[in-house]
Amino acid sequence: MEERNSPATLLAGMRLTLLIAAGLWLSAGLSNQASAQGEPPDAAFAEHVGPLLADYCVSCHNDALLTADLSFEPFLAGDGLLENAELWQRVAERLQAGQMPPRGRPQPADDAKAQVAAWANRFSDGTAASDEPNPGRVTARRLNRTEYNNTVRSLLGVHGRPADEFPADDSGYGFDNNGDVLSVSPLLMEKLITAAQQISRDAVFGPTLPDEPFQLAHYMARRSHDADGSLDSADTLPYSMRGALYGSHLFPWTAEYELRFRVANYRQRAPRPEGAPRRPRDAPPIPPGDFLEEMRLAAPPVPVVATLDGQVFDRAIIEGVNAFGYERGEFVTRLAVEAGEHDFRVSYPHIADIVDPRENMLPDGRRVMYIDYLDIIGPFAASPAPPASYDEIFICRHEPGGHNESCAGDIVTNLARRAYRRPVDAHEVGQLTGLIAQAQEAGDSFEEGVRVAVQAVLLSPHFLFRIERDPVTLSNDDAHLLTDHELASRLSYFLWADMPDEELFRLADAGRLGRPQVLDAQVRRMLADPRSTALVDTFAEQWLQLRNLDRTKPDPTLFPAVDDELRAAMRRETDLFLGAVIREDRSLLDLIDAPFTFLNGPLAHHYGITGVTGEAFQRVPLDGTQRSGLLTQASILTVSSYPTRTSPVLRGKWVLQNLLGAPPPDPPAGIPPLDEAAVGTSVSLRTQLEAHRANASCAVCHDQIDPMGFGLERYDATGGWRTHDGPFEIDDSGTLPDGTTFRGSLELKGILRSESDAFTQNLAEKLLTYALGRGLESYDTTAIDTIVQRVADADHRFSSLVLWVVDSQPFRMRRPE
Amino acid sequence: MNSSRHLPRRSVLKGLGATLALPFLDAMVPAFARAAQVRAASPTRMAFVYVPNGIVMDEWAVPGLDGTFPLPTDFPRILQPAAAYRDQFSILSGLMQDGGRAHGDGPGDHARAGASYLTSAHPKETAGADIQAGVSVDQVAAQHIGHHTRFPSLELGCEEGLYGGNCDGRYSCAYSNTISWRTPSAPMPQETSPRAVFERMFGGTDLDPDPARRARRATYNQSVLDLVLEQAKTLQGSLGATDRRKLDEYLFSVRDIEKRIVKAEQDADVAPPDLTRPRPGVPQSFIAHAQLMFDLMTVAFQTDMTRVITFMIALELGNKVYEEAGVSEAHHGLTHHRGDAGKIEKITRINRFHVEQFTHLLERLSTTNDGDGTLLDHSMVVYGAGISDGNRHHHHDLPTLLAGRAGGRITQGRHTSYPAETPMANLFVTMLDHMGVEVETLGDSTGRVTL
Repeated sequence: MEERNSPATLLAGMRLTLLIAAGLWLSAGLSNQASAQGEPPDAAFAEHVGPLLADYCVSCHNDALLTADLSFEPFLAGDGLLENAELWQRVAERLQAGQMPPRGRPQPADDAKAQVAAWANRFSDGTAASDEPNPGRVTARRLNRTEYNNTVRSLLGVHGRPADEFPADDSGYGFDNNGDVLSVSPLLMEKLITAAQQISRDAVFGPTLPDEPFQLAHYMARRSHDADGSLDSADTLPYSMRGALYGSHLFPWTAEYELRFRVANYRQRAPRPEGAPRRPRDAPPIPPGDFLEEMRLAAPPVPVVATLDGQVFDRAIIEGVNAFGYERGEFVTRLAVEAGEHDFRVSYPHIADIVDPRENMLPDGRRVMYIDYLDIIGPFAASPAPPASYDEIFICRHEPGGHNESCAGDIVTNLARRAYRRPVDAHEVGQLTGLIAQAQEAGDSFEEGVRVAVQAVLLSPHFLFRIERDPVTLSNDDAHLLTDHELASRLSYFLWADMPDEELFRLADAGRLGRPQVLDAQVRRMLADPRSTALVDTFAEQWLQLRNLDRTKPDPTLFPAVDDELRAAMRRETDLFLGAVIREDRSLLDLIDAPFTFLNGPLAHHYGITGVTGEAFQRVPLDGTQRSGLLTQASILTVSSYPTRTSPVLRGKWVLQNLLGAPPPDPPAGIPPLDEAAVGTSVSLRTQLEAHRANASCAVCHDQIDPMGFGLERYDATGGWRTHDGPFEIDDSGTLPDGTTFRGSLELKGILRSESDAFTQNLAEKLLTYALGRGLESYDTTAIDTIVQRVADADHRFSSLVLWVVDSQPFRMRRPE
Repeated sequence: MNSSRHLPRRSVLKGLGATLALPFLDAMVPAFARAAQVRAASPTRMAFVYVPNGIVMDEWAVPGLDGTFPLPTDFPRILQPAAAYRDQFSILSGLMQDGGRAHGDGPGDHARAGASYLTSAHPKETAGADIQAGVSVDQVAAQHIGHHTRFPSLELGCEEGLYGGNCDGRYSCAYSNTISWRTPSAPMPQETSPRAVFERMFGGTDLDPDPARRARRATYNQSVLDLVLEQAKTLQGSLGATDRRKLDEYLFSVRDIEKRIVKAEQDADVAPPDLTRPRPGVPQSFIAHAQLMFDLMTVAFQTDMTRVITFMIALELGNKVYEEAGVSEAHHGLTHHRGDAGKIEKITRINRFHVEQFTHLLERLSTTNDGDGTLLDHSMVVYGAGISDGNRHHHHDLPTLLAGRAGGRITQGRHTSYPAETPMANLFVTMLDHMGVEVETLGDSTGRVTL
């Protein structure tokens, strides 16, 4: 057994909440581990553990008092040890962390504690090692919404996101791709059927072309004050105090479209200076030309820029004050656009460089300069040709109406093997060609028949579920390797949240995917593929709980400069940062404190960082004093705060839960609340939270949770830097239970970095949970331990984590039920 | 190539938007007159409207002695907005949900409250796959009488389910995402988008103007469903027990849809009515959202699309900020007030705000003609919560308002205090009786209540 610094976090405890990260703050003493080796568990118990329990623990944890529902009395004679492996792990962890016995009670010596820890480890490893290798099994997983959208796009080339209409997926163990939890309800089936009808129609025939172009969208920002009632008829977009209008639109056809936008310009003329003479009342009226000229000169010309997918499609100069630009009317551009989803943005770029966005607001709440609306009208000059998706399906490449007999079989075989993600047999092909024949016999075209076959495929359980079979010849306990096709699916849904591509299919068909070098090369290829953004968008966003950012609304009176656009920027910063760590194959530990990030002008202003301007995101080096890594990014700081204030407890909990894998248990009922009114006024938040320490039973948990949050107190509830909370200067020092002290976020990050094993183990567990689509169990401990060790040997490179997860027993194999 | 070139719906229907209430449906009634004529007497409808995190009981209703008394002339603050309907509803006090209590499990009163509210069962404490509650009263009704209508039931809400593994203590988010359970392990997801609800009711119709083509497509749809059912059954045979259960959900759902398609086809020969179709997504304004959903509930009852609806105004543990109620703190955070008068005031405001929205439903139902009487006369609408005192997480003396006369079977305008610890399930079985659904017991019921 390898010597390591931290006992494994017990994975069955993922479903219980462990009080503390495995061996987080270990004191010395693991060298004693060797002395426990070689002794049978019962003998070691009698020598080391039993006496300690009797001397220090049983006074509270006995049959009469049953403190915390736990009594050690039944075990003192050495009975029932085997069945309670998890309990001994917890005992060891609490002893080592100094949580038990509670402060103020007699404490066992450090080496005695270490003996207990060693025994508990040996003991539980012993029970684990005696089992057969157990890779577990994953329940048949239905495609969740994200996977459905991506798969339909890859399978058929149909854009739009039909699954956005489906009911939200339930999550299990923190992720929405858990096979046991994902269910099929009649409501979902209804939506699947509607979607299948719609998608099959769009894929074969394309969305129906209208007789005339019409208004596809009328986009306005929500809360546009000038909108009066017209907001009711608008497609609303996020609100930007800086006046931008941005979003994405699904263009149904490859055609030309008109993009029409109108700008609003409510700049005022500078007020007449004090003492300047008034115009005499009887002076002749100013000629209209001069008046307009005066208006025009009264405010500097500024550009307005409109882009589609980042490419400028219109640009203009807006001059003058109030209504001068408004009367200009709409800016109209006709563009050729490919069918699909495209991002658009219309804005006054110079406003991004205003430090405080409130300068763009008038007292009545209207913005000074903003984009009023963007209309999309079309299609013009639409091509009558079949859509791009047609070629994906009709692989025989005949023109519509020119298909021959063998086409049906070829088309269906290609469609089914890709949709079911495995080779198909003649019977399965026949089921689908039968539908084509049925349509033709009823008088419909061959294309309509194929459409029906597509509809059937999209509703098939072979498509909707990822099925993994157990060979019938095996006995119940034999673990076996997945087939290459099953492996291909696991890989593609893990790294891309999408179906396998042709290369994966090819290797699976040839039976070569499972070979070590091939598998290794494929993982690297997939990580380099653009589709691996799924690791950021789906895995990391759930791991870090960033999806809650949509629901977190900082109080606008306390944080008036935070609008929808800034929150979107916060999220983008973290997404880009995570993407860089993955793309550059950096060490996992860089997530804690890498000295760079991605910012645009507005976000940099929010952080108080100078030298970054413009709307576009750029890579920014950091010196680390204020900001570095994930922990001091606004997205995370906001998600772990309340709308009105920070919470060191929430932040501490976030760090423990998401970075160290040791979520603290919930507080007991009946605790007095925080005096919200007093916070930051009569008493500082920190002082109030000291009440946690005063009470020994609160301190058991809060001595762990609070210090981490204190270390982040210089960041307010939206991630902005501050030195004071109201009148109180912020004290961002903290003391961990083992006595380590630190001041500020940088030192806190240093401590987290030194816990590299705990950090790696947590990330490995989360990643493996996501990759498998099931919660981890105690029999996965060995696999996790192996991954952690190998990743550490590889300098913690991100790719090594992914490779070792893929190469693990639970990922490559399964056990029958 | 299919050359049907009908105009997209957008230019046919008027999109006046989310804040506009659906117009009153007299225009629609002729289109569905056929279905309406078949009915002899108006059927009884059942609806449950749920609010989370408890209610400030002092401002809700003052329980009297055990027994039944007329409603007071002055309503406390929270109920005050409903005063105009005082002769159409009653307050029921003293009911409890024992399933919501901990019974040795860890913290998680919100998850338990939501999961036990309509099931009267004690949910299993788990965040994983083995969730288990009970069958909820609305689904019991749906299973018995749902075949009369296009949708056996509708589950609606204003808040989408939360992400993340545990939502409350060690309980799965599935427990707080809905109050409706088809089986003890199958929670019914809610529809939160008004547009999606509208589409389900009116949008599924094939808009192809050619009836022959529509008929052919209906045949193909049937063949597709037959095929996938066959595939699923064959597949099941080769899978382990857990996977078979997953496929069971799939099979049930497909069969359920097949039944509904048959029903829908009976109404399919009419063109969709000229209704305003809500915009996509969810309205910004909570008031607009809630009212639109209540409008859709009314339409659903009026057109007999369903007779059973559940509606969660917000999810259990909901932490929404109700700006329109003048409160800028999040809901759940406030409810642990521990006596702070300022917080209690804000919660009261939120509770009252919820009742204000609910009165919109009372207004629609009580002014919609339903044959011999109004919709409300023929319905039973429960407005309530699975927690009474939100600070202490009490599951007894649950705030319950029952509106509607169930076709004359219920007398309204009263406040009835039941003996302490009367199971809520007793109310449910009584309501099922009034729906013509005979069950002996539900959850922990011990008998009936008098209404």
